[in-house]
Amino acid sequence: MDHSTEPATLVSRLWRAAIDADEYTAAGIVHTALAEGVDEEALLLELIAPVQEMAGAEWAADRISVAQEHAATAINERIVASLAHRRGGGPRSAPRGRVTVCCVDGEWHAFPARLLAEVLTLRGWRVDYLGAQTPTPHMIAHLHLTNPDAVLLSGSIPTHLPAAHAAITACQAIGVPVLAGGRAFGPGGRWARRLGADRWAADAREAAAALDAGVPRPAPSTARQAVDDLPHLADQEYTLVLQSRTRLVKQTLIELEDRFPAVRDYDEEQRERTAEDLAHIVGFLATALYVDDPDLFTAFLVWTADILEARHVPARSLVAALDVLADELHDFPRARRLTRLGVTALGERSPSSVPVPGVPA
Amino acid sequence: MVRCARCVPSLVSLSRGSPARPFDDQAGTAWPEAPYPVLVVDRHGGLVRVNAAARLLLPDAARGDRLHERVPAWLSQAHRRLGDGTPGTFAGATAGRIDDRFFEAHPTPAGDGDIVWWLVDDTDRRLAETALSDARTRTDVLSEASSALLSTLNVPRCMEMAAAMAAEHLAEAAVLVAPAQGKRYPVTSARRGGPVTQSTQKVNVAEVPGLSEALQGFPPVPARWINPADIPGWVVPENFAGPVGSVIVTPLPGHGVPAGALILLRSGTEHVFSEGEEVFARLFAARAGAALSAARLYTEQAAITATLMHELLPPALRSVHGVEYAGGYRASRDHERVGGDFYDVHPGTGPAEETLVVLGDVAGKGLDAAVLTGKIRNTLHALLPLAEDHGRVLELLNGALLSSHHTRFATLVLASVRRRDHQVHLRLTSAGHLPPLIVRADGTVEEAATRGTLVGALPDVTAHTVRTVLAPGETCLLYTDGITEARGGPLGDELFGERRLRRALAECVGMPAEAVVERVQMLATQWIGTGRHDDMALVAFNARRNGSPTGVDGYGDSGRDE
Amino acid sequence: MTTTEPTEFTVTARREHAVLVVRVAGELDYDTSDELVDEVVRQLTAGPTPPAEVRLDFGALTWIDSSGLSALLMIHRRTSALGAVLHLDDRPEILERLLQVTNVLGHLTAPVADAERGRPEAGDGTSVARATGARAADTRTSDTRAADART
Repeated sequence: MDHSTEPATLVSRLWRAAIDADEYTAAGIVHTALAEGVDEEALLLELIAPVQEMAGAEWAADRISVAQEHAATAINERIVASLAHRRGGGPRSAPRGRVTVCCVDGEWHAFPARLLAEVLTLRGWRVDYLGAQTPTPHMIAHLHLTNPDAVLLSGSIPTHLPAAHAAITACQAIGVPVLAGGRAFGPGGRWARRLGADRWAADAREAAAALDAGVPRPAPSTARQAVDDLPHLADQEYTLVLQSRTRLVKQTLIELEDRFPAVRDYDEEQRERTAEDLAHIVGFLATALYVDDPDLFTAFLVWTADILEARHVPARSLVAALDVLADELHDFPRARRLTRLGVTALGERSPSSVPVPGVPA
Repeated sequence: MVRCARCVPSLVSLSRGSPARPFDDQAGTAWPEAPYPVLVVDRHGGLVRVNAAARLLLPDAARGDRLHERVPAWLSQAHRRLGDGTPGTFAGATAGRIDDRFFEAHPTPAGDGDIVWWLVDDTDRRLAETALSDARTRTDVLSEASSALLSTLNVPRCMEMAAAMAAEHLAEAAVLVAPAQGKRYPVTSARRGGPVTQSTQKVNVAEVPGLSEALQGFPPVPARWINPADIPGWVVPENFAGPVGSVIVTPLPGHGVPAGALILLRSGTEHVFSEGEEVFARLFAARAGAALSAARLYTEQAAITATLMHELLPPALRSVHGVEYAGGYRASRDHERVGGDFYDVHPGTGPAEETLVVLGDVAGKGLDAAVLTGKIRNTLHALLPLAEDHGRVLELLNGALLSSHHTRFATLVLASVRRRDHQVHLRLTSAGHLPPLIVRADGTVEEAATRGTLVGALPDVTAHTVRTVLAPGETCLLYTDGITEARGGPLGDELFGERRLRRALAECVGMPAEAVVERVQMLATQWIGTGRHDDMALVAFNARRNGSPTGVDGYGDSGRDE
Repeated sequence: MTTTEPTEFTVTARREHAVLVVRVAGELDYDTSDELVDEVVRQLTAGPTPPAEVRLDFGALTWIDSSGLSALLMIHRRTSALGAVLHLDDRPEILERLLQVTNVLGHLTAPVADAERGRPEAGDGTSVARATGARAADTRTSDTRAADART
């Protein structure tokens, strides 16, 4: 067995242990590295985080099962917990300040937020970690009680951006600034800015640096509604598409059955999977309408096509679905444009493109 | 007076357009008796005539005097400008102060290059306008104060904002003194343009005239009764400009009890607080007091709830005696965080003893349900010594919960768990609850064949306990109907259902307990989307693969930081 | 564009001589269960003589949750106290499953012993137990526990 503490070796060793759900070996690797003097923050961000990324990427490429992906996450969570446990609770000296780390309501990928919470704790912040199962009203109640210096809002899946927007405006309305992070907020955090987040950070270290630089409190009098940030919402396309989401899915499914005999022969489970895929497409379409950015939609489609092809499902079914959707959405110019751009993006996609790791997994 | 001023332009226009020496012909007889001070000035700035009203205003002014020696510069300069310019500039009136009155000066040509200056006293209108603009500013300040202060329910933050706003809009410095905590007073000080400081100090409030009265909710002492020299040093913020010149001490009225007191300070160099400012300070204090009381009330309530929740929230689970437990709980958004679902793990006293796992669901919602949940969890804790006989435990629990007043009931599952070598031995009993599901090593999902009566509503209950064994890689799942009755899905308003739950579990062979819980929670959450849902609780357990490499055995060390 | 609204909850009661028939339609849950109990209690005490039989007709029931079941248990207490027999008619799958899992069907529909008729509602748990008088379901109990002990 290779016992080198060279980073790449450590990552691949931990990866193997994690997908085998071999907690004993996994914990041994991390605690040995720690004992040999590897910095704890580096362990979290340069060993555990990459392994977690790999889990998403390998699942997307259909090289590991859902069970293995969840197992790897569970092992990683446990190792992080054991590091925290070893350290004892809370910062050693007077904290730099107090912050709340929370996931966007509806988000279930808690791991990035957990890593961030640990890094900030290591750096001397007092961290309230609310995790992934905390509804926004509960988070706001928590903020009223603790009056933190900032909220760090983590999101992985872009379809939760409207919920993130609600959380951002709610925090700011009570005078607490929001630092957004995670893939949900788009390349370079462009959707974080569009939703009015006070700061965006690409990773835990950037987040820590932003907090160190200080994030001023928003003036409470600047309380606003979603449409104030996103005036295009006034065209109601987002609202109407989202409201008719299930009808759209049903209708599209029926149309697909009409046009493609193969779909007609689907068994119940295949039909449900197809309906789920369609629901995702409509969900991302609605979110793209929300932030008014076609890239959100096209990136999702390209990623989905990769996922499907990794599982030997031809991606042209996506184009067919988009065609049907475009017909259903004839009254919505912005949405129709998105479907056209989607078809184009799928056409331009290089079939061998490597799946984007970690995006909705 | 104000209405008279309006007459002037018509007088002037009457005089206009008359062919020759209009002033002498028409106004000649009018101006000496005019109620307005009138000055006739030649083009070189010499006073030609001064009427009676003007003599009252300018007692020293006499015919032949130089205008600029008798009137303020604004008027003499206006006259000089008229002399320089063309007749077309006559339309413009000018305005300014003479002594403590305010005048509009309307020039009209009087032939020979002379100018007749009509001075219209505008003092009252000016005052009224200033008052109106002050009132508007104050209304804006009050409304801004209300919206800012009510935006936070955090007491220190609310005090910080109140002090800062008072220093900005009402005075040069503001000190907010909150009711004593023990013998110390939370003091928040703000200086205009300076930082806000907060501390808890052992101060003598009796030193500040009117402060102890204000803290007891008595009406404020008029500012003029307070001698600024009596203000003790702790009240004056650092870097305050000069000695205190003027003070207001006003109570912050709360919901029945005072929320504190506000001290406003001005230094000697600026003017003293007027009565109007005192009234305004009271209005501001009323809003600050209301906001502060709301924040205080919220904090107290939340503290009580937090204490309750500490008792009622499900524990974070870990490994006990070689068995791994994982729990998940997602409260419904529709009501309190503490809902009707619950779970507990009572570790056996040693590896040879059984650990008792309980998961259940109380009918109803909100506080009533939470209270019943607490009662069940406490009762079960007391019944632990009898856990060898699940039927007996349920009978006693049922008896303890029965009430003639309601038929609120609970359903629950008891699982007694013990590891022997590589296997986990189980006794499972359902009391009216969905039977546990067991994921076998080959991917089949079994429903434990236990059945029994719900507890808390019927005089007698029956229950059937089953025994089974988990091989390595096999998992037992206890769950509430919030999972299977989650509504949503791609086609909308469909139940997640047991079929989908079983399908998901079939993929979970060999997974750590947390991963199983996470997987099921994730699927249910995805299924619901943005829809409403009931409480969802689940507990999974299986044989731990190895010893305890991370050094974490026992439970309660991870999970939510509440 | 609109999503389907849940079926409106309705309770319709009619008295046919000694039989009270109550038709329950829509979703019987936390929000609606009090309405059902109130209506049945009002009907029980409306006439000069209480009904001998109460039939709850669930033909149009679309949903029931634990609060709904709690309401049925309360109605059973009331009918038993008056000596009336409760029937749960035309039960949809969702209700059937709930009654099965919670093991209360026998209790809810057990005949009322003559001796218990008209007995006033007792003040504490123990006497409620006797007043409701439904011990039909627990004959199975002792065996199961014995069986459990053997395994």
